[in-house]
Amino acid sequence: MAQQERERQTDRSLTMSRAIVEAIAHEMREDDDVFYMGEDVADYGGIFDSTAGLLEEFGHDRIMDVPISETAYIGAAVGAAQAGMRPIAELMFVDFFGVGMDQIYNQMAKNTYMSGGNVSVPMVLTAAVGGTYNDAAQHSQTLYGTFAHLPGMKVVVPSTAYDAKGLMHSAIRDDDPVVYLFHKRLMGIGWLPAPDGPKTGVPEEPYTIPFGEADVKREGADATVVTLGLHVHRALEAAESLADDGIDAEVIDLRTLVPLDIDTVRESVAKTGRLVVVDEDYRSYGVTGEIIARVAEDGLADLEAVERVAVPDVPIPYARAMETEVIPDAADIAAAVRNVRSNE
Amino acid sequence: MSSDDDRVAVTTADAWPEDADEDAGVVVNWFMSEGGHLEDGDSICEFQVEKVSVDVPAPVTGTLDEIVLEEDDEFERGDTLAWIRSD
Repeated sequence: MAQQERERQTDRSLTMSRAIVEAIAHEMREDDDVFYMGEDVADYGGIFDSTAGLLEEFGHDRIMDVPISETAYIGAAVGAAQAGMRPIAELMFVDFFGVGMDQIYNQMAKNTYMSGGNVSVPMVLTAAVGGTYNDAAQHSQTLYGTFAHLPGMKVVVPSTAYDAKGLMHSAIRDDDPVVYLFHKRLMGIGWLPAPDGPKTGVPEEPYTIPFGEADVKREGADATVVTLGLHVHRALEAAESLADDGIDAEVIDLRTLVPLDIDTVRESVAKTGRLVVVDEDYRSYGVTGEIIARVAEDGLADLEAVERVAVPDVPIPYARAMETEVIPDAADIAAAVRNVRSNE
Repeated sequence: MSSDDDRVAVTTADAWPEDADEDAGVVVNWFMSEGGHLEDGDSICEFQVEKVSVDVPAPVTGTLDEIVLEEDDEFERGDTLAWIRSD
């Protein structure tokens, strides 16, 4: 059944945080080996509502607050996963990755390989990403590229509640480590309002969305916009404004960076000839360069023009006006689409 | 036809947090659209008072007939959020 049909079949729509929690709760009911740990995930319910209400149902044995030591508790999750459990460990802000990066990069991602396949690490590492709410340089990064760069783990970035639930079911059931990055601005919490897009119809029954399948969120013939996370909604807003001027943009939501569905991107570029890649991560050595390189490798002749829209290589500023300037918005995306069409 | 006699009001007073001092709130999220079917006890929307988010359960099983207070609307304690036509 097509995804849009399933979204429509329910009278109920959920915020992204509620959709994520629903998937986690279902998996915890089905499997006693699934548990969740992180800073402020139990009594507080996750500072971005990623675990709201779970403590009441599952108690402190399975929803665990941990001391502020990312190395200790991410390491504990790796060990528990290797011993046969299915931990979910939350890194409160992705910016804190440096503290526990040895556990993430050298243990979580590599232990299956290092052990010759004798252990698997079926854990999920969740983390909040993104800016646009004035939290300065150490709490506003997106860092998709950092996690997608090193082999050994899968990297998931949902943009809607429907996708968030299906991808979380897939992440918990996966026998390999999965990094699940949720954008704060998409969660739908009262003090950090979301755009309209991420709240979608969400069926009550569990369902999975396979990794490595990008989703065409809007079909169009004139240019391909490839993006993920919050910027799916900004790209859709840009596409709406471009449509008023007769420009028909296609918007592709990657949904997972590892594995990466480059075929969907190549097919779209073969149709449109024009590619704009949008990322809330830094411009250099990131998603924008990677997507363009992969399209060029096998489809150079299809490419008439490319442009990338990303955060310049500077720390995210605290000042509202400056943060707004460096993080791409719908107008920046629309301008890039106009640019790639300027040689027509 | 749509007299209020066969409709049940969802009021903000029913879900008001007991320890709140303020008498004003704001609607944060609706989880149902008008015309949608809901079960008694389903969370139908969420409002915020004094930085606390409150889920509003459906008081009866039925159809969401009318949303009175939309997202971002501010209201006073006791105002009607919506009307449900019970099954």
